[in-house]
Amino acid sequence: MTPHKAWRRRFAGLFLWALAAGAGAFWLAHARLQRLQADFETDARIVHRLLSQRVVQHDAVLATLALLQPPSAPAGADATLPRLPSVYPQILSVLQRPVGGGWPAAMQAPLAAAETASRQSGHPEMALVDLPAGRYHLVLASTPASYALQIDLRATVPQDEWPMDMAASPVRVALEHGGAAFVVQPGRVGDAGLGWSYAFRKPLAAPSQPLDVVALRRVGLAELPWLAMLGWCALTAALWAGGLAWWRQRVARQRAEELLRLGQVARLNTLGELAAGMAHELNQPLTALLSSTQAAQRLLADEPPDLITAQTAMGQAVEQARRASTVVGRLRRLVERPDLAGQAQPLPLAAAVQDVLHLLEPELARRGIAPEVSAAPDLPPVQAEPVALQQIIHNLLMNALQALEQVPPAERRLALTLARPDAAHVALSVRDHGPGVPPEAREHLFEPFYTTRTGGLGLGLTLCESLAQAMGASLALAPATGRGAEFVLTLPAATAP
Amino acid sequence: MNNDNASSLSPLIHLVDDDAAVREGLSLLIATVGLRVQAWAEPQAFVARFDRASIGAIVLDVRMPGTSGLTVLEQLLAQGVDQPVILLTGHGTVDMCRRAFKAGAAEFLEKPVHDEVLIEALQNAVRQHVRSRERHQADQQARERYAQLSAREREVLGLIVEGLTNKEIGRALALSPRTVETHRANLFAKLGAESLAQLIRRYAALVDAP
Repeated sequence: MTPHKAWRRRFAGLFLWALAAGAGAFWLAHARLQRLQADFETDARIVHRLLSQRVVQHDAVLATLALLQPPSAPAGADATLPRLPSVYPQILSVLQRPVGGGWPAAMQAPLAAAETASRQSGHPEMALVDLPAGRYHLVLASTPASYALQIDLRATVPQDEWPMDMAASPVRVALEHGGAAFVVQPGRVGDAGLGWSYAFRKPLAAPSQPLDVVALRRVGLAELPWLAMLGWCALTAALWAGGLAWWRQRVARQRAEELLRLGQVARLNTLGELAAGMAHELNQPLTALLSSTQAAQRLLADEPPDLITAQTAMGQAVEQARRASTVVGRLRRLVERPDLAGQAQPLPLAAAVQDVLHLLEPELARRGIAPEVSAAPDLPPVQAEPVALQQIIHNLLMNALQALEQVPPAERRLALTLARPDAAHVALSVRDHGPGVPPEAREHLFEPFYTTRTGGLGLGLTLCESLAQAMGASLALAPATGRGAEFVLTLPAATAP
Repeated sequence: MNNDNASSLSPLIHLVDDDAAVREGLSLLIATVGLRVQAWAEPQAFVARFDRASIGAIVLDVRMPGTSGLTVLEQLLAQGVDQPVILLTGHGTVDMCRRAFKAGAAEFLEKPVHDEVLIEALQNAVRQHVRSRERHQADQQARERYAQLSAREREVLGLIVEGLTNKEIGRALALSPRTVETHRANLFAKLGAESLAQLIRRYAALVDAP
């Protein structure tokens, strides 16, 4: 892969990640804004309904007064009029224009004007409106006497049913009329740079009091769900990095497997070369030996027998037999292993088994085999050479796996048992659920170049056995019982130091 | 060899193997059936110096230092050597066997070789060589006799081989039937043919040749 290509791949990955992270973050922000807007609109509608209900009460009170026509008593002698403010806290005072009389002198003109308007419209009219202070009068013309209420808007607001926290809510709520406004709830609507704003404006549902409910909500950038958005970005980044790491690991593992396979091929080639060399080295003396003896046979069968030439031939045959045995001796010394018993050390057998199982994990997984490992409690460590031990276990497991390939996946069972047959030994049993060892093969199993597999070299078990023997251990095929084959490796227990 | 005079006429086996013991053993064995053996340790010395006129066969070891038996076989065939070649190998693979026969080996045997197998192979090879030499000699003779014919006689022979009668030949060559008859008698005499069938069998191939 060229550096340019690698860079492009990295860039493409980064771009994809940015796209996924950005889309997710945008969606989160959008959802938050939508929720804020929906909340705002719900609150505004509730506020509008509550305020409308309250101001409509003023009309009802005035209508009742007009109907009952309670007399106005000087200096509060009569209880009816002054008692209303104690029932309705928003009604500061009740005024009456008695029959033939007038409104209190200070307010005569505006109240009279409102009374005239009310007489025309048929419903109460506002007068002396001071919205910033939240005060106004509501006048209803009636006969014989007309009445007016002085309203305090602040008290009109139903605190207990209010949908928002009045002090803390960011929503500004105001009642507006003729360019003036009474702020019900201050909110936070400062011009804080970038952001979104939602607005609500609707007249109160009371024709007598044409006040607009105006709600405003400003949403600043700070109100976006930054934590969740950043969390999402971090999560996608982590997923991306994790996926990348997983992919790299996969590639690395594939490469390692490939190398292992190549190594095996190389080893087989070396082995083949060795075998070819050995065949040639032995074939030469054997050819000479065979031809000499056969020549001698023929010479002796002649009539008369050629004794002298036959003797020469036999002499050559003896010579060649010696030569062949020298070749064998040389070969033995060539492949002789170093003294394994000398390198043996105490080590836990269970750990060695786990190591090999770990190595073979891909092989096991590919064949869908879950090995059942059971170990007797308090097993002592064994005296063994670590590499040789691993090689033996590896070979036994590979044999078992190959045997299990011949049975359906559902029946593939592999049991490894660690036991202590006697005080001085620890045994590892490898039992597969395969077709087992045919009776005629049982006694030849450990012979070199004997194999039941086509293409097998027939050296695996031989090697295992010689490795085991070199460490003072033994390898045996357990007597056939039930299904499959069972091999038992018996190792000397390490003596306590 | 116990009887050099008599065996000088018997077939000669060339044995090429770098191993002295193998040469000795096989030489002894081959000699027991009355075949002469000439053993060579050096493949290149053998290729350079062996008697190509001799009747017999060649036994080659495949695995030799320097030049492999297969290479030697290819050299021999390239030089037109007609002795059949038997290859011996210590570890014969199917692939090597295929290569050997493709290169023209008469036989491919595995070491150590059993006496009967080797001797039978050698005798077959020698028989095959003798036959091929005889056929070769007959061809040679035919070529020499054909060369003695005149141009007109060759034309007449060509038409005889095509199956034309004397009359038809005379028409084709603008000759009288009598003249054709004379040419016919002459070429039969020159070629030593006793019948029309024999004439066609021996000389039909030469007529088409330039």
